[in-house]
Amino acid sequence: MLPAPFTAEFLNRLEVLRLRTRKDVLGNRPGAYSSPRRGTSLEFADYRKYSPGDDLRYVDWGIFARSDRLYVRLFHEEVDLFAYIFIDASGSMAFPSIKEKFAPACNLAMALGYVVLANHDHVRLHSLKDENAAASPFYRGRQRMRDLIHFVSSVSPAGALEPAPCLGNHLKHIRRPGKAILISDFLVPADAYQQGLNLLRAFNLDTSVIQVLSREEIAPALLQGELSLIDSENFSELRLQWDKTISREYEEKLARHNRELKSFCHQSGIHYSFYATDEDLGRFVLKTLPATGLFR
Amino acid sequence: MEFLNPAALYALALLPLLLVPYLIRRRPRRLFFSSLLLLREFATRRSARPWEKMYLPPIFFLQLILLALLLLALGEPSLSFRPVSVALVLDNSASMQAIEGEKSRFQLAQDEAAKILSALPAHARVDLYIVVPRLTRVTEESLKPGEAIARLNSLGPLDLGEADIDYGAEFERLVGERKYQRLHFLTDHPAEGQSASVRVVTLGRPKANLAISAFQIARRSLASPQLEARAIVRNFSATEQKFKLALKGNGNLLAGRSYSVAPNRSVEAAFENIPWRPYYEAEIDAGDGLALDNRRFAVPPPQGALKILAVSPRPEGLSSLRAIPGVELQLVSPEAYEKGNFEPHALEIFHYSAPAVLPESHALFVLPPKQNPLVEIGTALSRPTVSGWREPHPLTRYINFALFRPAYARELKPGGLGEAIIQSPDGPMAVALEQKDFRYLALGFDPFPFLGRQNLPMSIFTLNLLDWFNEGRTGNASATGAPLAAQLRPGEMVLTPTGEKIALEKTSTVFARTYVQGIYRITGGETEKFFAVNLGDERESDLREPPVIQLRSEPGAASNRAFYASLWPYLLLTAIALLLLEWFLNPASARERPASEPVKRDDFRWA
Repeated sequence: MLPAPFTAEFLNRLEVLRLRTRKDVLGNRPGAYSSPRRGTSLEFADYRKYSPGDDLRYVDWGIFARSDRLYVRLFHEEVDLFAYIFIDASGSMAFPSIKEKFAPACNLAMALGYVVLANHDHVRLHSLKDENAAASPFYRGRQRMRDLIHFVSSVSPAGALEPAPCLGNHLKHIRRPGKAILISDFLVPADAYQQGLNLLRAFNLDTSVIQVLSREEIAPALLQGELSLIDSENFSELRLQWDKTISREYEEKLARHNRELKSFCHQSGIHYSFYATDEDLGRFVLKTLPATGLFR
Repeated sequence: MEFLNPAALYALALLPLLLVPYLIRRRPRRLFFSSLLLLREFATRRSARPWEKMYLPPIFFLQLILLALLLLALGEPSLSFRPVSVALVLDNSASMQAIEGEKSRFQLAQDEAAKILSALPAHARVDLYIVVPRLTRVTEESLKPGEAIARLNSLGPLDLGEADIDYGAEFERLVGERKYQRLHFLTDHPAEGQSASVRVVTLGRPKANLAISAFQIARRSLASPQLEARAIVRNFSATEQKFKLALKGNGNLLAGRSYSVAPNRSVEAAFENIPWRPYYEAEIDAGDGLALDNRRFAVPPPQGALKILAVSPRPEGLSSLRAIPGVELQLVSPEAYEKGNFEPHALEIFHYSAPAVLPESHALFVLPPKQNPLVEIGTALSRPTVSGWREPHPLTRYINFALFRPAYARELKPGGLGEAIIQSPDGPMAVALEQKDFRYLALGFDPFPFLGRQNLPMSIFTLNLLDWFNEGRTGNASATGAPLAAQLRPGEMVLTPTGEKIALEKTSTVFARTYVQGIYRITGGETEKFFAVNLGDERESDLREPPVIQLRSEPGAASNRAFYASLWPYLLLTAIALLLLEWFLNPASARERPASEPVKRDDFRWA
């Protein structure tokens, strides 16, 4: 049974989407994504001198007429895509409740996964969670959507997240470069998420980042007065006097934190999107993400 | 503005208790938050602020105002217009001499009265009243406030007890009759109830007190020239008190002893063989609230023998009395008694006779005729034996009534007055009555023929009755306010305890201005006479719980309401409005906002 947003109409509209990659990918079957290898696609890649045995169909006769030298045209190989969707499953994703943050994030991951499956590409889900590096097998084809849901349902958010070590554990098992999509709230120090994202870049993955925050995190509506706030990841306690001034300053700090993340992604060639969980998933996937360049 | 229930204002002291819930709430609400990464800076900054420890939200001040309004409403504030017709009643009874700190209650009352008068408009009319010796106006004409203050300062407390009057009803009547807009009563009595016009200002607090409640100088016995002093000291407190009692004669110390007295009890002190002095004073050194009742005065009984005027048609029957030492007998016939004008005697004996009215002296009626002013005479007793007697009683002590057999006796019928002292099977044989400081005894038998060894019980009875009459023959002492019975002639002068000299211009049998306790001297005659006057109301000495004055709203004082508007309904309405405002500003739904509810760990599960 698919979650509520996944209506037949929504799925139909997802099927026309296709992930955009900024880098060549290494697929193992013919597909729609450019590969660094030379192949038989229609996209011209380069010339090289003719060698005996080359297919005469690829000889560029125009160059031979002008220079009396034989060159053959080389074309890009088009392969299928290996997509890696990383879902932050730390404790903070359960705030203010699982239904209000983690579930929308998972729905988003499943929507992205379905786009990949519908294009007969490979998708694999990774849950980012303290020491546990749970990852699904590669799925391909629409019929594996059920397995995708099953995997997502088995993940529950808890614990603290250190992006770099956790991503490092997952990347040990990734052999093929492809598309990496990281879904997280990124409520970690800047150097921590930067290390993690740099790690993805180092593995030559075309990385996209979707920051997911609930409305309660964007604009906390806490009762004024003295509060003892408990960190949902490490359960550390913090006492503060919550009032409108603090609320406003928090919102400014969060906006600055998000700007820094976005700026880092921009400088690092990482695609960045922001998803507020109270926003309509269909609108975000079908309008916002294509507009920001994640889909083509 | 004034408060009809000012005691409720003490509850305002409870206002700081409103802080308690906020202090308890200082343990902050624990809430889960996704990440404290962006909030740590605020915690550091807040803890540095000095007022962080006591954070009072604006709603606290709203609640504070609301509570204060409710408590003020309990005080029943009323807006009163300044009255122009005012009665000021000062309690000038003896208890107002009690000291409160550095001033007496009466001085405090004067101060309060001056404040009240100062607040009146200049054209107001004031009537001053005092309550003792009776509730009366001080001046005939109404006074302006300034004049009333000046007159107020000339008043002082008297050594008198208050009359048994219902102040609430009396003031109600006074307000109704004289159309006072406001009556202020300054007293040491607390008040209950409410009145639109009457305001009671209660001064002083409950105090422990020791008081000499009785002091008497008497002869040891009928014929004895020796005097003895007896004083009774009462403890009006809840703890045992120790004191030293000093006996003074003519101002000089004669004796002194220490005593202790249990709470709410009395102790009797006796001093025997004291020398004769013109007057005596008993004083205790207790440093209690009321100094007035720590002193009491007495004068010795008249010197010489017990003078008896015997009126009898059978004088020989009384001749045996002459044999008793200390008795001076004058025998007259009934006819001579009716015609003659005799000097006052200590005792008048009517033997087989009776005067038309009760004499103004102690009197003994022996087998009086049927027409007598004391008892009804019944039939002769067939067997004059004694079947019962009052005991203990001075008349019946030491008597073996088994041997008490008069030869002839008649039944007496007290007729509501007096009490039967000796009973026979057929009726009373002796009836005693004490009235107006005089003692009267009627006998249905004649004890005098049996004096001597012939009938010892009868002789003892005779001596008992002479002693009993002699006991009543104390010195000239009376209560304050009671007139002194003295034959006053022109040219004589009365020297009061305050040193005031009052020259007498005409003959009088009484001197009435005895409002101050002490010794009154009458000089200028043949001999100097001393009279002791003491505070005669024990209730004034009990400073613990004065009677409560019950105030009532005057049914006929509808016109007074124009001077009086109750404010508490408005305060209550304001409080309700504030309550609604508080509910609007801080609704329960906001207090239970889901976002601020703690996130349970169970929520960290994929639903």
